[in-house]
Amino acid sequence: MHDGSGRIVVQNLTKQFGPVAAVQNLSFTVEPGSVTGFLGPNGAGKTTTLRMLLGLVTPTAGIGLINGRPFHELGNPARVVGAVLEAQGFHPKRSARNHLRVYAAAIGVPDVRADQVLQLVGLGAAGDRRAGAFSLGMKQRLALATALLGDPQVLVLDEPANGLDPEGIAWLRSFLQSYARSGRTVLISSHLLAEVEQTVDQVVIVSRGQTMYYGPLDNLRDQQQGRVLVQPSDPAALVAALREEGITAIEPLPDGRIAVAGVEAKQVADTALKAGVSIYGIQEEKADLERLFFQLTNGQYAAAPTQYGGQPPVGPGTGYHAPPPGYQQPYQQQPYQQPGYQQPYQQQPGYQPPPPPPGYQDPPSGYQPGQGQSGLGGGA
Amino acid sequence: MLGNLIKAEFRKTTTTGLWWGLLIPTVLIALGWALGTGFVGKNIMDAVNSSDAEELTRLLGIDPSQWQVSLFGMARSINIATIFPMIFGGLAISTEINRRTITTTFLTAPNRVSALSAKLVVYVLWGAIYGLAIVAAVSIGIALTSDSSSLPDAAGWLAMAGVGVLASVLMTMFGVGVGALMTSPVGTTVVLVLYMLLIENGLQLVVSTQGLPELVGFLPNGSVNGLTGSVAASLFLSTAGVVPDDLVEVLRAIAGALGAFDWWLSGLVFLAWTALFFLGGWAVTQRKDIT
Repeated sequence: MHDGSGRIVVQNLTKQFGPVAAVQNLSFTVEPGSVTGFLGPNGAGKTTTLRMLLGLVTPTAGIGLINGRPFHELGNPARVVGAVLEAQGFHPKRSARNHLRVYAAAIGVPDVRADQVLQLVGLGAAGDRRAGAFSLGMKQRLALATALLGDPQVLVLDEPANGLDPEGIAWLRSFLQSYARSGRTVLISSHLLAEVEQTVDQVVIVSRGQTMYYGPLDNLRDQQQGRVLVQPSDPAALVAALREEGITAIEPLPDGRIAVAGVEAKQVADTALKAGVSIYGIQEEKADLERLFFQLTNGQYAAAPTQYGGQPPVGPGTGYHAPPPGYQQPYQQQPYQQPGYQQPYQQQPGYQPPPPPPGYQDPPSGYQPGQGQSGLGGGA
Repeated sequence: MLGNLIKAEFRKTTTTGLWWGLLIPTVLIALGWALGTGFVGKNIMDAVNSSDAEELTRLLGIDPSQWQVSLFGMARSINIATIFPMIFGGLAISTEINRRTITTTFLTAPNRVSALSAKLVVYVLWGAIYGLAIVAAVSIGIALTSDSSSLPDAAGWLAMAGVGVLASVLMTMFGVGVGALMTSPVGTTVVLVLYMLLIENGLQLVVSTQGLPELVGFLPNGSVNGLTGSVAASLFLSTAGVVPDDLVEVLRAIAGALGAFDWWLSGLVFLAWTALFFLGGWAVTQRKDIT
């Protein structure tokens, strides 16, 4: 029936609610064995995308597949995919255990499974209490327990950290990571990168219904230009030596140190050694992911196409940031295949995309470090 | 697979207090109406059978001693009491949508057709359970206040019980459909009760005074009323001996079946109404975006 791969494939999903395009031509893949973060600001179409994937909302176009099948062809779907969705309800008068027994019956698992999942999420003592009396955090745990009833291979969670206390978030983090480590698939949405940064391995970043970035979180981090802060004995000599090596992004700091962008600390230290300059202190300043996330999810419509991947504004691909009506068609027919995207993507060193579905290439990978300010995020 | 879903749907109904919360007033109303109508029927029969009226009945050529007037009370009581299973049905889907449990319901079912089919089966069953409770309560109430001569025979009672349960099942499914279309539990309850108790009675009055009483049999409450009322009227007439034609219409009106057709035709008309709303509600729920 389904291929048992645990892979989630979202292909060109589009949802139009009346005049509002909630999701536009969204594509990404989620591989088993990792926790994938599905990130975007409020209103980016995350919830709608997940609900389309789970067969709750009918897409206007495109398709969402789990294990190679649409949700309705999974047979006993709760055995394949468990979901914790926002605004997922409980009857306030029904006890937590009875709630779970209702759905245990629907899935066809024995009633004892209800008590198992209650224990698993830490609600063992609250099983007889009515769900209406639960706190938001307890409801989230109960929703997770419901999702786990069928012991699914794929777990989809929409903003699961909402209402959880710090202890609950820490627990959820380790739970999801161990779940993924057992070879299963975890897709978790959030509007806050910081909230899931420590949990996820892969990220899909969407904004206004479109994919902005898709790949490992580490690569995203690497793409952002870090700086080396160095305190030399003779700043002028070091600057001169660095310039000789073609490094020009140098900036003096008020505290007497100099900041060198786009290099590794090792290179600065080697240069200093060659120039006979002592180094009293050296420090690598990592990319600010939150800022990068902000850049990726803001001002996409205002950004100048020329800045995107360094391509001249020709061809259909350049319309990516501000899709005119005619833009969608070539894009849909040949998603992510515009040559303009391929080149910067391949030039990108160190970028290791996860195994994509055939023909899938990721446009945001054309993002050039250092251009964020004037490129993607420029219009914000 | 459908068995699992039916079990789940049934558990949904038994794990909240709604089923008995509505069953109690159902039984009380059924019992109360049966006691009341039985009492009224007995008083009428006492009057009709009194020596003063004997002259009149003999002149009319009728023999009231065999009149099973309790049948009318049974029909009326059943009709009133089936309001409650209708509300119970009305809350089936509307509550799930309102409480957002429909999300989990659809996530744990292979598809919506099977999820809704399971609901169909479970609510037919609940309609029958309510129907049996109504018939039992009505029978007890009528038996307590009526003379034994005015009670139906075993076959007659069985016929009334049968259409009573049938009416309850159909009313439940009618409610399920309206609830699925309206998606608001409160709105569904208010609309159903107002329509069945007030609006349609007003409509019936209008079409009757406009000389079109036949139309009443086509209305939802008129047809479901006709289901029990027509059986009551036919049973009554079958044992009442000679009854003048003019009186037949009066008797049918008393039974609540004025303008209604034969019981099976009334049943079919109400079945059509039920199917219209149920299938309409199904179609809407089938395609609904659960956001």
